[in-house]
Amino acid sequence: MNKGVWVFIEQREGEVQKVSLELLGKGRQLADQLSTKLTALLMGENVAQAAQELIYRGADEVIVVEDSLLNVYITEPYTKVMSCLIEERRPEIILIGATAIGRDLAPRVSARVHTGLTADCTSLEIEDETQNLLMTRPAFGGNIMATIICPDFRPQMSTVRPGVMVELDIDTTRKGEIINIKPSLVKEDINVEILEIVKEKKQKVKIEEANVLISGGRGLGKIDGFEILNQLASELGGMVSGSRAVVDAGWIDRDYQVGQTGKTVRPNLYFACGISGAIQHVAGMEESELIIAINKNTEAPIFEVADVGIVGDVHKVIPALIEELKSLKK
Amino acid sequence: MNFNLLKEHQMLIKLYEEFTEKEVKPWAEEIDETETFPVNTLEKLKRYGFMGIPFPKKYGGAGGDILSYILAVETLSKACATTGVVVSAHTSLCGAPIFEFGSEEQKLKYLVPLASGEKLGAFALTEANAGTDAAAQQTVAVKDGDNYIINGSKIFITNAGIADIYVIMAMTDKSQGTRGISAFIVEADTPGFTIGKKEAKMGIRGSSTCELIFENCIIPKENLIGKEGKGFSIAMKTLDGGRIGIAAQALGIAQGALDETVNYVKERRQFGKPLSYFQNTQFQLAEMKTKIEAARMLVYKAAYLKESNLPYANEAAMAKLYASETAMEVTTKAVQLHGGYGYTREYPVERMMRDAKITEIYEGTSEVQKMVIAANLLK
Ligand SMILES: Cc1cc2nc3c(=O)[nH]c(=O)nc-3n(C[C@H](O)[C@H](O)[C@H](O)COP(=O)(O)OP(=O)(O)OC[C@H]3O[C@@H](n4cnc5c(N)ncnc54)[C@H](O)[C@@H]3O)c2cc1C
Ligand SMILES: Cc1cc2nc3c(=O)[nH]c(=O)nc-3n(C[C@H](O)[C@H](O)[C@H](O)COP(=O)(O)OP(=O)(O)OC[C@H]3O[C@@H](n4cnc5c(N)ncnc54)[C@H](O)[C@@H]3O)c2cc1C
Repeated sequence: MNKGVWVFIEQREGEVQKVSLELLGKGRQLADQLSTKLTALLMGENVAQAAQELIYRGADEVIVVEDSLLNVYITEPYTKVMSCLIEERRPEIILIGATAIGRDLAPRVSARVHTGLTADCTSLEIEDETQNLLMTRPAFGGNIMATIICPDFRPQMSTVRPGVMVELDIDTTRKGEIINIKPSLVKEDINVEILEIVKEKKQKVKIEEANVLISGGRGLGKIDGFEILNQLASELGGMVSGSRAVVDAGWIDRDYQVGQTGKTVRPNLYFACGISGAIQHVAGMEESELIIAINKNTEAPIFEVADVGIVGDVHKVIPALIEELKSLKK
Repeated sequence: MNFNLLKEHQMLIKLYEEFTEKEVKPWAEEIDETETFPVNTLEKLKRYGFMGIPFPKKYGGAGGDILSYILAVETLSKACATTGVVVSAHTSLCGAPIFEFGSEEQKLKYLVPLASGEKLGAFALTEANAGTDAAAQQTVAVKDGDNYIINGSKIFITNAGIADIYVIMAMTDKSQGTRGISAFIVEADTPGFTIGKKEAKMGIRGSSTCELIFENCIIPKENLIGKEGKGFSIAMKTLDGGRIGIAAQALGIAQGALDETVNYVKERRQFGKPLSYFQNTQFQLAEMKTKIEAARMLVYKAAYLKESNLPYANEAAMAKLYASETAMEVTTKAVQLHGGYGYTREYPVERMMRDAKITEIYEGTSEVQKMVIAANLLK
């Protein structure tokens, strides 16, 4: 008879990922409903210091598996360790975050232990009568919600979309057991060699996907004008874009052009800085949630679509705005 | 009533045709393919007196009548619509308003170099938000002592970047609506005046079409044409004349396409016979020819009325509407009668079909011409 709810703890360079804490929150609920234990499975090299927090976040026990061969995530050694532990200890439910690592690991493990896996779930419940886990996930691009069960095999495995479950607050009164296990890994288990890990500097987002756009026009005067826009963008966590005039002038790349012959954007916040508001531009941004226009000409047509209009010089208004935002953050 | 051209016009046509054959036709394909302005042709047009045909000799012109000028645009456009519009925009849209509405000083200073071909002209009315609704001008000119300060931009300006002299419209008094628009002469090298990006177009690809940008562009008050507030009326009257030029361009394109097609169908054989033997071919050609001839009468009549100082706005609108739609129809049929070959760039008819389309759009769309004609009819 299988027993217990397990959560795979994903760590990167020893830091526990948020999704794993969320899964501990959900796992606690499921374990209580099934009157069983919640186990956190922590693998890596020099990661034991994270174990105590996992208990404070809801785990009854933490299995810590440390080995230099588990230093960075590689499919085979992680799969081997996890599969062996499952065969030995026979849990009933396993939850894994649907991250790049989780989506790689979970199907390998499920195939090896021969059980069912539901990917990218957004809701997990226990069915009263059968005690089966009801795993619900969006399918066909989110058009259908499918609820899937795994009645005949154990454990019931699920990867869970980050951000949908709720983590528990740290409760330092919670007690739990930490079990250290030495895995039986050999060099031959490393069938992949990691040459280099590259960390991209903030992923290049497309302007259509930005929530905040700081758009510049010919009114910036010259290419240097984009410096203050970049500052404002980083202050507000947004991206910079522009009118065709600044693209033609070579101040920014064509990919950043908003308008009829550029991109159609619909951010929550659109700043039009030194943009006159020609119809070809407006057609690409008028659906934005909130439009703030800065232009020194009161007659500029951009003010017809702006929710907030500031008449003034961009070179004075924007630095003042940045100052104000900085002081608010303090 | 006499439908024969005068001897002098017939002689002029011969001259224009020789020039076109020798100096225009050989470059037509290349300037389209490479989208480059025909600078060398411009030099020759200037030398042969094409740039100021309808202006008096005392202002540097050739002292010809309107029809002499219209015949030139028609003939040039038979081989190359780009060359046709370079001359037409220069003459009808820049030279003409200075000649008709400018002061004596302005004529001496600006018309003389324009008409002699020493300088090239352009006309700027259209804006991003003011196309057909030309009165919705956003470019402003503010009087400041002895100067006007111009701010704003214009789009789709023919000859932009190449021209030395621009006739432009700007708002001097917004509260007055169309009566708040004024016309100005701006020289190309004025500080604060720059040229934006060149448009990539379907046709007339050798012609330069760009945006004009005015940023605190200061011009002397002597460059105001006529009185403040007269700009809209000047622009509309200028366009009435310009429309005869575009009608002539359309007429030339259509005639050029028909000429190419007549030659082609006599040579190409299918089913053991030249294409010209098939009755469908003959009937198509007959329709093409008839429409071209009808268009020609409208165009020449409008030119005659303008020359005679009679009202001609309505006739100019009809001529442009009919000639441009004929050009579109004739060139489309010309491609069809060429079969698959007509669709390739080895033959000139596909270029003519691409060139024809713009004549239904610029200097007032076909719809605008219908508005003018209907308003006259119903007044
Ligand atoms: C075929 C075609 C397609 C086009 N497609 C697009 C398109 O997709 N997207 C697009 O954006 N445009 C497009 N356009 C161009 C469009 O018509 C306008 O020319 C363009 O949007 C103008 O850009 P702008 O507002 O940056 O410049 P301008 O119109 O020159 O406006 C500059 C503005 O800045 C203000 N200003 C100047 N100095 C300052 C200062 N110090 N502080 C504050 N304000 C100042 C001025 O008052 C003015 O309103 C297209 C045009 C054509 C012909
Ligand atoms: C190659 C080229 C060269 C040009 N050269 C010059 C130049 O040298 N100088 C210059 O000033 N301009 C020039 N233009 C501009 C040209 O005159 C305008 O493009 C033209 O007048 C149409 O304006 P628009 O493009 O803004 O079209 P819009 O006004 O936006 O019209 C779009 C369509 O709507 C129709 N429409 C608009 N209003 C009405 C209405 N009330 N009723 C019925 N139909 C309507 C139009 O007929 C058209 O079919 C040039 C344009 C091009 C493409």
